[in-house]
Amino acid sequence: MKRILYIFSILVIPQFIVYMIITRTDNQCIVDTELPAEIEVVNYTKKADQKNILVADHSKFEILQQEFERPQDVTLACLSCHTERHHELMANNHWTWDRTEKLAGRDSVVTLGKRNMINNFCIGINGSEKTCVRCHIGYGWEDKSFDFSKKENIDCLVCHDQSGMYIKAKGAAGYPVEGLNLNIISQSVGSPKRENCGICHYWGGGGNNVKHGDLDKAMNSCSKDVDIHMAIDGEDMSCVACHTTENHVIKGKAYAFSSENKNRATCTHCHTDAPHNDKILNQHGDRIACQTCHIPEYAKANSTKMVWDWSTAGRLNEDGSQIHEADADGNHNYLSIKGTFVYDDHVKPDYIWFNGTADHVLLTDSITEIPVQINTLMGSYNDKGDNCESTTCSKIWPVKIHRGKQPWDPILKRIVQPKLWSPNKGDSAYWVDFDWNNSIVAGMRYSDLPYSGEYDFVETEMYWPLNHQVASADKSLQCVDCHTTDNDGRLAKLEGFYLPGRDHYDFIEYIGILLVLLAVAGVVIHGGIRIVLRKNCLHDKK
Amino acid sequence: MKVYIYKGFERFWHWTQVTLIVMLALTGFEIHGFYELFGYREAVMIHDRTAWAFLALIVFAIFWHFTTGEWKQYIPTLNLVKEQIGYYVTGIFTGAEHPTNKLVYNKFNPLQRLIYLGLKMLVIPVMVISGFAYMYLNYPNDTFVLGNLGPVAAIHTMGAFFLIVFIIAHVYLTTTGHKPLSSIQAMITGWEEMSELEAKEMVKSEMEYSLKVAKHHLITDKDRSAFLDEALQETEEKLGVKNRLHDVLSGSGAGYFRLDTNGDYIEVNKAWANLYKYETVEEIIGKNFSLSRSEKSFAQLKGNFDQVLSGETIEHGLVIRKCQDGSIGYHTLTMTPFMKDNKIIGVQGVIINIDRDNASKLQWDNE
Repeated sequence: MKRILYIFSILVIPQFIVYMIITRTDNQCIVDTELPAEIEVVNYTKKADQKNILVADHSKFEILQQEFERPQDVTLACLSCHTERHHELMANNHWTWDRTEKLAGRDSVVTLGKRNMINNFCIGINGSEKTCVRCHIGYGWEDKSFDFSKKENIDCLVCHDQSGMYIKAKGAAGYPVEGLNLNIISQSVGSPKRENCGICHYWGGGGNNVKHGDLDKAMNSCSKDVDIHMAIDGEDMSCVACHTTENHVIKGKAYAFSSENKNRATCTHCHTDAPHNDKILNQHGDRIACQTCHIPEYAKANSTKMVWDWSTAGRLNEDGSQIHEADADGNHNYLSIKGTFVYDDHVKPDYIWFNGTADHVLLTDSITEIPVQINTLMGSYNDKGDNCESTTCSKIWPVKIHRGKQPWDPILKRIVQPKLWSPNKGDSAYWVDFDWNNSIVAGMRYSDLPYSGEYDFVETEMYWPLNHQVASADKSLQCVDCHTTDNDGRLAKLEGFYLPGRDHYDFIEYIGILLVLLAVAGVVIHGGIRIVLRKNCLHDKK
Repeated sequence: MKVYIYKGFERFWHWTQVTLIVMLALTGFEIHGFYELFGYREAVMIHDRTAWAFLALIVFAIFWHFTTGEWKQYIPTLNLVKEQIGYYVTGIFTGAEHPTNKLVYNKFNPLQRLIYLGLKMLVIPVMVISGFAYMYLNYPNDTFVLGNLGPVAAIHTMGAFFLIVFIIAHVYLTTTGHKPLSSIQAMITGWEEMSELEAKEMVKSEMEYSLKVAKHHLITDKDRSAFLDEALQETEEKLGVKNRLHDVLSGSGAGYFRLDTNGDYIEVNKAWANLYKYETVEEIIGKNFSLSRSEKSFAQLKGNFDQVLSGETIEHGLVIRKCQDGSIGYHTLTMTPFMKDNKIIGVQGVIINIDRDNASKLQWDNE
């Protein structure tokens, strides 16, 4: 009995203890789906603790108690108190529509922006400014002659209107629609709300959620299923809660235009760079953007445009009227003026290595690669920065890839800028005249660029890093979403590095499994012979 | 017959290793992507913790091996390797005897020595080092960053496969003991069942070992009294043959003799007679012990004999004996007074034969 107890205490009990220790469930590491854990943040005051102090009631200001004739008069009224603010605005790329940055992979510093860039949606604004600048914070940008130094042309209201009544008109060079009560609107002003930002950032590319895929009008009033931060039943955060702004310098980068790694709005600003109660997960943050796991899908409320094929544009009904085809969800499949589209919702992102720097195809660039990379997000596994002390260390990022087929000059090998919009027929605008050659001639001439006279359509790709529509922790990616041998694993296509659970070396597997099988076979054969010859075996023949 | 082979710590160590290695394998191959069992995240955490626990156990085991001198069991030898392989390839099928015996001080056969040493010096360190690299040299914030996890993962995976192969062979070979389960039973209880023949061999070796140990103590320790009792007692404990020493002695290769105060043989056992190449025990009884030595070495023996008669215990170390046929042999000799009614009435002793090859080694030990 004593011996049994002894054996039990040295053999069984230690095993039990060891097993309990190594398999102990770490409460900190479990996502409690019932009770969401209180998430610790810095640099942010939670909704429950926020005190809404009305700084100033603009309706009491005398200068706003007037019937404004022109929207510019409102701007001048603003600037009469908020003096010198126009300097800040005029340096802001919401005004300049360009930024002077170094393109990744090139030596030159260039001034680039909506003003002179191309994308694979509506291609570019040149020749069509009057309609495109509906999203410019200014008044009167009709063509290249627009005076960017005239402060009265700043549109304060598009961002600061809180009445919801302020609307910019179509094809009106940035002016608001006729007949607005600018008196009431001007008295309503305040810090920008989601609706102010969203009117352009949701609707870029000609429709809701067309461009970004993670910026959707539904986010004005959404549930936690769409966006954990902006959910009205949650923190109900506005855009500027993260895109913090000082002196009209707004944090945040859109890599459709930007090239440098600076002034970015980051998750870690509030969540710190060690947001998990798990060291391994925090280490993942060294090589993986937060967004990768926490934005498992985008276009969660409304569809986003995935493909835009301009080459089919121009088909008209027999009576010469334009064709509008839409699917059951109301997404356009085909428009005579724009061509064929593919929309999708609840899209799984693509994943790339990205270090915060980007290159862009310029209208003057010679195309060497098809599909044309409209923008190239730089980065690779081997780009580890300076031990990642700098933020240029490449991380895995989720992106929306928008694929296009758009006009180019196959002789000069350049993307071309067609003139798309005009209020009048016979003005070479494609959306009115449906003549590609004329519209390209007009667009290229307007841009002072050469055109061979021949055009074709070329496949293009554009990359949109995803930042919004963040999911709750329990809906975020789990380990096996990436650490899996499945071909539909999230990182199945991201090559150039060894990912545990996904990768293996065939020869190691073959040798290893072969050795194991040989061992088993050896045991079976050896043991089999021993059993057959049992009489001779085991020394107990006596 | 059962013999005590594995000490408490060894058994604790072994079975804890079993638990840890099984858990490491189960979680490791899940992380490798072979199957889903614990869940990936749990698997990683368990693997991490188990590795640390394993490391702690390794530290304990190293400490234990060095403080107890058990590390010597892993000194590799090519001696009998061929015979051991031959046994597994053919002998085992014909019921041949094991070419080597399992002993407390030599519990591994030469193959085991090689394989276990390989495990301890090669596979385990490689697994520990590659495991650390896998876990801690991966991210750019780490002080030293691996260019690519791939080679480390490959080494770690290969090591894991080797360990699986080892486990398969190891578990299978436990069935080659006296009975299929006797080795496993031994690893649980410490006592291994052996055939009579093996046990006898074992007893002989144990005696030798114990006496050598006792002798070692005598050299370093001034207290010489009752060393033989101690040695025998130790042997008894190890063998679990309490109170059967006489039987054991007579069955062992150790020679026993008793002399009267004149130096005449009163009693010798069969083993003694065999060592001195006498046909029967009777041939020597009553004869003087001067017969067993050359003239020169007898003087020394005589001196020691007198000392023992005065109450001392003498450990003689290596002696050269003259056998009945005039040939020479080597043995160790230990003499104690033989008491009756608190009076010394003679001298008794144990001699243990030493091969010519080992003789020089033993001398070296003494020095």
